[in-house]
Amino acid sequence: MEFAHYAPLWGEALLTVLAVLIVLLGSLMKNSGKLMGYLSLAGLVAALGLVSSNLTIPKPEIFFYDTISVDGLSQFFKAVFLIVSLLVVIASLSRYTGKGADEYFALLLLATVGMMVVASSIDLVTLFVGFELASLSTYSLAAFDKSKKNLEAAMKYFIFGSVSSAFMLFGFSLFYGMAGSTRLADVASTALSNFAPATAVALLFVIAGFAFKMALVPFHMWAPDTYEGAPPLVSALLAAGSKKMGFAAAFRVLIVALVALRMEWYLAFAILAALTMTLGNLAACWQNNVRRILAYSSIAQAGYIAIGFVVVGAAYGVAPITKFGGAAVPAAQLGIAGALLLILGHALMKTGAFIGTAQVASMVAKGNDKDPDDISNYAGLARRAPITAFCMLIFMFALAGIPPTAGYIGKFVLFSSAIYSGLVWLAVLAILNSALSLVYYLRIISYMYLREPVGPKVAESKGYVAALVLTMLAVVWIGVFPQGFIDWALQAAAVLLPQ
Amino acid sequence: MIQNAISLMIAIPLIGAVISLFAGSKAKFVALIASFIPLVLSLQMYMEFDKSSKIMQFVESYNWVPSIGVKYTVGVDGIGFPLLLLSTIVSILVIIYSWGEGKKPNQYFALLLLNEVGVLGVFTALDFFLFYIFWEVVLIPMYFLIGAWGGPRKDYAAIKFFIYTHVASLVMLLAIFALYFTYSMPDGTRTFDMLTLLQATADKAIFPTGLLNIIFAGLLFGFLVKMPAFPFHTWLPDAHVEAPTAGSVVLAALLLKMGGYGIFRVIMPILPNVDKAWITVIAIIAVLSIVYGAFLALAQKDIKKLVAYSSVSHMGFVTLGAVAFTWMSIQGAMFQQFSHGIITCVLFMSAGTIQHVVGTRIIADLGGLADRMPKFAVIMMAGFMASLGLPGMSGFVAEFLVLTGSFATLPMYTMIVVFLSVATTAAYHLWAMQKVMFGPILKKYMNVHDPHSYELFSMGMIILLSLLFGIAPGLITDIMGTAAHQVMEPVVTLSQMGVI
Repeated sequence: MEFAHYAPLWGEALLTVLAVLIVLLGSLMKNSGKLMGYLSLAGLVAALGLVSSNLTIPKPEIFFYDTISVDGLSQFFKAVFLIVSLLVVIASLSRYTGKGADEYFALLLLATVGMMVVASSIDLVTLFVGFELASLSTYSLAAFDKSKKNLEAAMKYFIFGSVSSAFMLFGFSLFYGMAGSTRLADVASTALSNFAPATAVALLFVIAGFAFKMALVPFHMWAPDTYEGAPPLVSALLAAGSKKMGFAAAFRVLIVALVALRMEWYLAFAILAALTMTLGNLAACWQNNVRRILAYSSIAQAGYIAIGFVVVGAAYGVAPITKFGGAAVPAAQLGIAGALLLILGHALMKTGAFIGTAQVASMVAKGNDKDPDDISNYAGLARRAPITAFCMLIFMFALAGIPPTAGYIGKFVLFSSAIYSGLVWLAVLAILNSALSLVYYLRIISYMYLREPVGPKVAESKGYVAALVLTMLAVVWIGVFPQGFIDWALQAAAVLLPQ
Repeated sequence: MIQNAISLMIAIPLIGAVISLFAGSKAKFVALIASFIPLVLSLQMYMEFDKSSKIMQFVESYNWVPSIGVKYTVGVDGIGFPLLLLSTIVSILVIIYSWGEGKKPNQYFALLLLNEVGVLGVFTALDFFLFYIFWEVVLIPMYFLIGAWGGPRKDYAAIKFFIYTHVASLVMLLAIFALYFTYSMPDGTRTFDMLTLLQATADKAIFPTGLLNIIFAGLLFGFLVKMPAFPFHTWLPDAHVEAPTAGSVVLAALLLKMGGYGIFRVIMPILPNVDKAWITVIAIIAVLSIVYGAFLALAQKDIKKLVAYSSVSHMGFVTLGAVAFTWMSIQGAMFQQFSHGIITCVLFMSAGTIQHVVGTRIIADLGGLADRMPKFAVIMMAGFMASLGLPGMSGFVAEFLVLTGSFATLPMYTMIVVFLSVATTAAYHLWAMQKVMFGPILKKYMNVHDPHSYELFSMGMIILLSLLFGIAPGLITDIMGTAAHQVMEPVVTLSQMGVI
């Protein structure tokens, strides 16, 4: 067996083996929670190392009979997923130590593998398998603490997730019926040569299926309840990782379709994006539960990211090609790159913010019988848990797009691409939304920094602090030195465009 | 000559801010040192500044994000340098004035220093990307100064301030994107270099008037809100009334000047290439700001609100002088920026001192304070006289230059200003002063006394500066005169100057 031939996929293999190993060891050893946590940590670090050794691949490498492609785009998403899982594991180290910790970490690793498979797949069946692997693992994670709220959240997530999978699968089967193949390239070329009404129906089903995962309006209903009810660290994984999986799949499938079909459908996406960000931001203004605020803000951010799709459609054959630092960059590429940068930034900011809520729920809110995520628990957090509060402050400003942070760079590139492709109305709407989002981000900040504390100073748990500080540094680092990240995103975006 | 003087000036308060966060009650000493060094640097730069040169000086330029054409470029010319000097002077005086701050002093002084970083960056950045970052960074310390040390309605005022000005910045950002994507350099790449983009707007083939009108509107909106000009001034009274004294001073003396700076740096080079109707629009906005601001000030019961509206009125002179587009009026407008920057400090400091010595700022409740606060009364009197335009002080020179210069091109607007605002301005200043300070002392104020010496010192220094620039305006107007010539000529880019 040519072991070295599969070098780009070692990361996935390693994590799969590790997940099985952890379950096995866990059933044999007692009180091994801590060990399992460190094992997962080491495995994720190694996988991240393997992925980043192949970060930029000039030519896509194809494996397993045209089903898996390792290219710039897949590596970008894999890096995002691995970073999110890594941060969640670091934070989990001090939370999941006892009985059942082995299952927790194994499920987390399997979810990561599923997401990585989705990022790489160029075949509908493989895509679906990856999707389900990640979804099934996260369904059980969402109920992991077994409280009543957990179960409700997991149930909602499971039902909505299953329905969306069904939609997606139905769309896929229609594609297969038309093209006689499950390869994305075949599907696209068949659709291009023979655009039948069935193509439109299939596309509609697939879009609906993905939109559930991405939590775009009107398929967003499950997200706030699930993010609020699931264990906070799992919410971080859901909002920052699993949601981005929806985008990874959507980029692969929809952009091929959009470019190949030369559709004027981008207007539909524009309306979807506009509705998503506006409703998300408006709804977030009225919430009192911080995790619900973050959930709605995450919906709004999905709306911004969807601008990337709109730009691809709008820019097709319209906007002139100009150079950035020597290389010719069409508007579509800039749009996708902007969306990717925002995905990276949002993954970091949201992971951080949810870990922050986990810290508050476990340490600060302990002992009062209020809802642990209620915003009143954040009063005076700056004095009660200064490091957590400062990191949260940076995440809130970053989510609002205040420079110099990762959130600002993502929005900067994305909104500029909207102007570039002539979508002035969408850019104006997006910036008005950005300003609107300040209402609730500033509300959290003012609770943390401008209110009197409701209790004494608390000891901040080390695992959470480590994860928070790492995330915060990354968010600021991307904002101050964006060069490498912009180049990386542009390179990843190039994969999707016809050469 | 000191290498990288501007970068040092930006970096030192930033480092100082971080140190003072951890310095506890010693933060004030850190803040004093961290604001003193930039002051020395700026005075050194003043000595070395070539007053007759129209090109950028002290330029530093490094690649930052080359793939999208972003550079770290800073430099000053006659437009930016006086404001840089103003920022270093006001920053240290505010820190001295706040010497006795007892509530979380480490955070308080760190925020003041962070503010200095932001405004220095805005006045020196020559790359739109960098400019925008500094422009936004300024909002954060001001938000916290209002929100944490403010008055009863601080939450509302802080959020209103942040969101209102943030919307304006974002609109400006979209206009910057439009500039960026419309102009490509000869080798096909894009740039955020301010001077290059501004120079390109003169080319009708690249920027047709229709497109340029839209871009111009976006940029103008961003700057007018910051200034603030009628009808976008409504955030200002709330922010000022609720802000702590130091916050108000920095807001009026430095943050508002960012709007004026944007007018000179960005709006003026584009103005000749857009529809002529814009001149009428801006002139009307200017006149309304001056006159309406003065009448609003006349109607106020709170002395701080009165001072806040007087800022709207005074900043209107900057807009009027700029849009009149004569050498004299532009020079006057620039001098008005500088002069209002120092005079308004003493006004807001007076309001703050009255608040904490007497406990109220409502004009009707005050009276006869001069009896018990003689030193303070002299200084406050001088400040109000400077503000209403007493000859011999800097405010008079600035407004005289603006009105004289504007009469040549906008006679009707100038006449309206002269007839409606000069008397009103004198009236509200004198009326407030007379009611607060003079007359018989009210019985309940028998125990009040002069404020701390550090407060008197800061205010006294400002009065001296106002006198100095009133008697010898040439110290700074020489630089502004050159800059005014420069504003009226086409933009010359850094590469044409041979500085980079």
